[in-house]
Amino acid sequence: MKNIFPNQLSSHVWFVVPAVLLMILLLILPVFVAATFSFTNYNLGSPDFEWIGTKNYEVLFKYSSYKKMFTASFTYIFVVVPISIILGLFSAILISSLRFGGEIYKTIFFLPVMATLLAMAIVWDFTLDPIVGIVNQTLQKGCNTNFFYSLMTGSWLGFNPVDTWYGIACAERMPNWLGDKKYALGTIAFIGIWQSFGFNMVLYLAGLTAVPRTLYKAAEIDGASGSWESFKLVTWPLLGPTHVFVVTITSIRSFQVFDTVEALTRGGPSKSTYMMVYAMFEKGVKQNLIGIGSTLTVVFLFFVLFLTLIQVYFVNRKVHYS
Amino acid sequence: MYSIELKNIKKNFGRTPVLKAINLAIKDGEFLTLVGPSGCGKSTLLQILAGLESQDEGDVIINNKIVNNIRASHRNLAMVFQTYALYPHLTVQQNLAVPLKLRSLTSAERNPFIGPLFPTRKRKLAKIQEKIIHTSEILQISHLLGRKPAQLSGGQQQRVALGRAMVREPSAFLMDEPLSNLDAALRVHMRTELSQLHRQLKTTFVYVTHDQAEALTMSDRMAVMMNGKILQIDTPDQIYQNPLTLEVAEFIGSPKINIAPAEYDTNGHLTCLGVKISFSTAMPEQKNVKLGIRPEHFEILPQDAKIGFLADVQFKENMGSDIYLHFKTNYFEQFFIVRCSPEKARFIAVGDRIRIRWIEEKILIFGSSNELVSFKKLKP
Ligand SMILES: Nc1ncnc2c1ncn2[C@@H]1O[C@H](COP(=O)(O)OP(=O)(O)OP(=O)(O)O)[C@@H](O)[C@H]1O
Ligand SMILES: [Mg+2]
Repeated sequence: MKNIFPNQLSSHVWFVVPAVLLMILLLILPVFVAATFSFTNYNLGSPDFEWIGTKNYEVLFKYSSYKKMFTASFTYIFVVVPISIILGLFSAILISSLRFGGEIYKTIFFLPVMATLLAMAIVWDFTLDPIVGIVNQTLQKGCNTNFFYSLMTGSWLGFNPVDTWYGIACAERMPNWLGDKKYALGTIAFIGIWQSFGFNMVLYLAGLTAVPRTLYKAAEIDGASGSWESFKLVTWPLLGPTHVFVVTITSIRSFQVFDTVEALTRGGPSKSTYMMVYAMFEKGVKQNLIGIGSTLTVVFLFFVLFLTLIQVYFVNRKVHYS
Repeated sequence: MYSIELKNIKKNFGRTPVLKAINLAIKDGEFLTLVGPSGCGKSTLLQILAGLESQDEGDVIINNKIVNNIRASHRNLAMVFQTYALYPHLTVQQNLAVPLKLRSLTSAERNPFIGPLFPTRKRKLAKIQEKIIHTSEILQISHLLGRKPAQLSGGQQQRVALGRAMVREPSAFLMDEPLSNLDAALRVHMRTELSQLHRQLKTTFVYVTHDQAEALTMSDRMAVMMNGKILQIDTPDQIYQNPLTLEVAEFIGSPKINIAPAEYDTNGHLTCLGVKISFSTAMPEQKNVKLGIRPEHFEILPQDAKIGFLADVQFKENMGSDIYLHFKTNYFEQFFIVRCSPEKARFIAVGDRIRIRWIEEKILIFGSSNELVSFKKLKP
């Protein structure tokens, strides 16, 4: 039989080629295609296009609607990431200190992560409806309940109830959570937190199990009296690798927020919730503006790459204990 | 004066009793070792003493004060853990500083933001630094101060763990098998270091080990624990020569003590392996007893001697300074071990039949419930 590998040394190449080909075809090529399109004004369906250089990028950093997009995206990240991480860590610590019932809490907090966000978004849409939604119905009823009214307005603390947020809402009307640009981004962020803190909690629970119990005993012997002291001395630093992972993954996931925006606000009102991936979808898919859509994609990829590089830096430098 | 007392300590993990009514009084400045086989509850007892576990019943008394409800951080004890428990994210220097900082700085002074505002902080930190340098010199870890625990060998980590206990002045040191992970040479070295340290500091040491050599060489007194009970507390000499029960006799001493059945005849003479023993004790109630003969209490006789008994050498173990001969007799199917000098063993080969005898006055006699019935006076 003839040797199909005339050179023995080249045989290993044949093992690698299929994987490399697939990787180039499915992962790297699309990025390059997007990068190429970002320098054109190509619209899907139009017969030809022109090279317009960096004009798309200039548009992106000049036009007010894209400025709003960056503001919305970053505000969302800077709200959702810290809050969902702190909540996740806090609930993980509480749950891990439970003697029993921990499994139930884990399941409950993890439910939003498992549920399809699109389906959940519809439920939120009902819940937050300005007139018939259960939130505003409850708030409305509370206006006539003395206890609830004074609790919410803070009149028991000495505030003048009529001047407070709740007092005004009672006097005029309840907020339109998704339709008012004052509230929309906050509401979307709230749903984002609700959805992702369970995930962070699970990551932290895993991280906590890796902290040796004897370190807490050592801390106690060394004079750390109280849970805050041993949290500072042992828990927080030993969760270092988990922190890096959680921060990166939550940032990237928050960057990618799409389904709530699409289902609840469609970027509105007046672009207050015009998040990056939604903009990508709107430009590239709905309006067939491949050029600007690709530009958005490239910028988005750079952000994600940047976040990943930060993670790699921390993993290599600071939080590696072994 | 006792510095630590344990009164009737009981502890169960689930349904398994781990400690069964432990009573222990440790004198001020004493080096007390807790020895016992793995799993007998030594670590659990130490943790109860430290306040890291709670006992189900009984009292822990430190310096004449019941401390049952005082948490570990306020008992002022230092502990070296079986697994070192160094903080992996801190350097050796920072590890040593932790107990000092937590105890001498107020929480405001420790705060990284407002701490530097306190003029007292600088003075205290300088003092801490001084102590760290002093301790690390004693333990010869000065060159390691900048490293993280993961960059240290097991022995070095062990010394850092010791250092973390030594930097402050606790009312007692608790050590849970602190030398278990060292190689033989370093272990012997650290043994003398620890003994010296104890002589210098004159603080109470409670030292857990399952290595009887450590217990015998280092301690003022040792407590032999088995199955959650303390079987005997005494000086190493006493425990070696007068083990109160067969279990203690079997646990202490290496190689293990030889046990042989013996019987009193109607005249009150004791016979073992066909050999009459002239050695007289008050005859116990039962006729059947057990003799315990330590390996070094055999003597090899010339072949033509009229005393002793014959033994077949089955195995020869060379320990360098000593030779262990394993032999069998016609009367008993168990092996016996003799310890003898290399000179004496030179001409003995496996398969030889030799004549040996025991040194009668050294024999230990145990009654039918395994209690010691023959007591020896210790030579002063
Ligand atoms: N947290 C726990 N839960 C249940 N059982 C435990 C627990 N800790 C210890 N035990 C059991 O209690 C017994 C005594 O354990 P302990 O750690 O005190 O043994 P030890 O004498 O220190 O042994 P070693 O010499 O191996 O360290 C063991 O049988 C062990 O399985
Ligand atoms: Mg132990």
